[in-house]
Amino acid sequence: MATLTFPLSRMEGHAQVVVEISRGTVVSAHFQATEYRGFELLVLGGPAEQMPVIVPRICGVCSTAHHVAAVKTLEAIYGVTPPPVALKIRELLMLGQLLQNQATSLFIFTMPDRVGAESLYDLAERGPEEVAADTVAHALQVRQVGTHLITLAGGQFIHPVKAVVGGVTSGLDSEGALKMLDELAWALPIASELFDAYWEASLAMGERLGTWGDDAPACYITSVGGERPNYYGDVLRVLGCDGEEVCTIFPADDYQQYLIEEEAEYSYARKTSYQNQVMRANSLARINLAQHMDTPRADGYLTRFHEAFGQPAHAIMLFDLARGIELVYAIERAREILVELLDTGQVDDRADVKVPYTPRDGEGYGLVEAPRGPLIHHYRVEMGKIAQAEFIIPTVHNLAAIERALRVAAERYVTAESVALELELAVGRVVRSFDPCIACATH
Amino acid sequence: MKRFAVVQLSGCAGCDVSLVNADAWVDEYKLVYMPLVVSTHDIPEVDILLITGGVRNDEDVYKLRHAVKRAQMVVAVGTCAISGGVANLGDRDEVREVFLAHHQPHLAPRLLPKCHPVDNYVSPDLYLSGCPPTPELFMAVLMEDQDFQASRIVCQECERSKLRDMRPTHLMGFQQGQVDSEICLINQGYLCIGSSTRGGCRAPCPRAGHPCVACRGPSDVFIEKDSEVWFGSIKRVFDSMTSVPSDEIEAGLRSPQLALFLFQFSDYAGDDRAARSREKMF
Repeated sequence: MATLTFPLSRMEGHAQVVVEISRGTVVSAHFQATEYRGFELLVLGGPAEQMPVIVPRICGVCSTAHHVAAVKTLEAIYGVTPPPVALKIRELLMLGQLLQNQATSLFIFTMPDRVGAESLYDLAERGPEEVAADTVAHALQVRQVGTHLITLAGGQFIHPVKAVVGGVTSGLDSEGALKMLDELAWALPIASELFDAYWEASLAMGERLGTWGDDAPACYITSVGGERPNYYGDVLRVLGCDGEEVCTIFPADDYQQYLIEEEAEYSYARKTSYQNQVMRANSLARINLAQHMDTPRADGYLTRFHEAFGQPAHAIMLFDLARGIELVYAIERAREILVELLDTGQVDDRADVKVPYTPRDGEGYGLVEAPRGPLIHHYRVEMGKIAQAEFIIPTVHNLAAIERALRVAAERYVTAESVALELELAVGRVVRSFDPCIACATH
Repeated sequence: MKRFAVVQLSGCAGCDVSLVNADAWVDEYKLVYMPLVVSTHDIPEVDILLITGGVRNDEDVYKLRHAVKRAQMVVAVGTCAISGGVANLGDRDEVREVFLAHHQPHLAPRLLPKCHPVDNYVSPDLYLSGCPPTPELFMAVLMEDQDFQASRIVCQECERSKLRDMRPTHLMGFQQGQVDSEICLINQGYLCIGSSTRGGCRAPCPRAGHPCVACRGPSDVFIEKDSEVWFGSIKRVFDSMTSVPSDEIEAGLRSPQLALFLFQFSDYAGDDRAARSREKMF
């Protein structure tokens, strides 16, 4: 038996892929997360009210999602409802993260695969000439608009601080809000152009490779749904493997009745499944469940996507295109919210950004839709201290699906005679389609 | 063109993501190794090596020792590289036992008993503190920017006004209260450490209404001294501006959210290693 180990890059965190082969047959394809810090244990005994500052440190890529999830969990325990303007500011935070993350995944992580470069920075010198020289600059600038939006709504773009129990620490300043509107107006056509080019490059790559990766049906899980997308999170929705029209809907509190979590001997990350079937989270899950995005350009892309690939669509490279739709949506939706706040005089308005609260012991769940899927925090608080903490991480919902897709790729490139060199590139493409986050998955 | 590399040990990648926002280096440097954004698996000879994250497992030790051999200059970046960071909250008496009893997958890298700072294994030439350091700070280090101006302390970079006649008698919880947008957070009863925390970040947290948690560590005045000296100074600030009882301040400073950052330059190993010198701090 031969064991092939593939180091991974252009993704968050420490992981590798291990493929075992015997006489030309793929025996196993494992995704191995190799880091661990132990957040569920290290927060034990700490004051519950410090969680919104401590838990963003689970992940610098996803810190906004953890920050908001921690605040929502404490609000569930304390029985607090934040004022509407605070909820709008938190929605802006989540949109900033969506914009930043989808730009990172599309341009920094996966675009190099489409042109055969090692990184976005190399793209201009190594990629084909038709790649415009300013693609690199534009890609980084669009991504930065997302980080600026997080800074405006969260104080700083990594480990934000503004969401607190009962609301936010301060409103938006009008000068910052106006400047942000200009940035978003600039970003919309540029992001659309980049996405159009990315879409074409993806089609070309699919044609060249002769595959879009694992395209067998799977279940899809997300907390985005309802009339219009809402990344702030309300309930979980699972679309069954048979693509049935009606989703299973349940609150975060009941997740253990629906999702099974298992540990593996080869990885620090757990793995979840739904009714023993392979489940997928992240962009494709949301786009498969979306009827409309409710913003003009994103709706145009959504229609084009559903018409071209069907609904639900299953090929894994479609995760990347689904991210592009969300990139455009995040820009459009953030503009709408800012315009609304400015028009209704809800900036620089300190009085209404926070309500008072009284801490109390209890147990609660906080759900948000992070870029990688639904994120659940679950705390039990005794004497004001954390007695139990669980973090149910979106990447964990995708690990079984990643391993299935890795196996599909391995079986394509391993024969009795040889292992094609393309396998190493295929492994990278498969993993990046799912945009896993290992710091979160292992925490 | 000069070359630099980034080695990420166990951490949250926040430092690395912050660096991605710093793009002024693109014309001066070639980024030759940084797994987060570049697909290369070996570190060539580099002018500058940035290390983020702490040493949590045996693979981190190997990666760290292997990488520094290739570098002219080594920079320890962020709270985890400097002290072990947030993962060290697991090194408390009440948690250590559950931690050691926790399931470890036998085919993954072995955990060390605690998360170590990188200078337990190698000697950095520079420490860039912050959780994470801002893109501006990264650029100042990479570009060796002589014009970079930083205030001595965060307080000087925060525009809130201090009032003489507003003396809180108790601390306000970190999540509690309505924050006034103009007045110093200490006047409002928040345990803000900005008055002695190293400047250079431009005070994003207190400006947004959240007290400074001291992620940049102490200013030059305290960097070479015992953490008790720093604590003493923080207490004197609160004595002069508030009527909050000293034991309340003490308990707040030792709570996880602040201890995580306030002890980052004290000696975790408990041996008599020399303090990090102020010349090596950025």
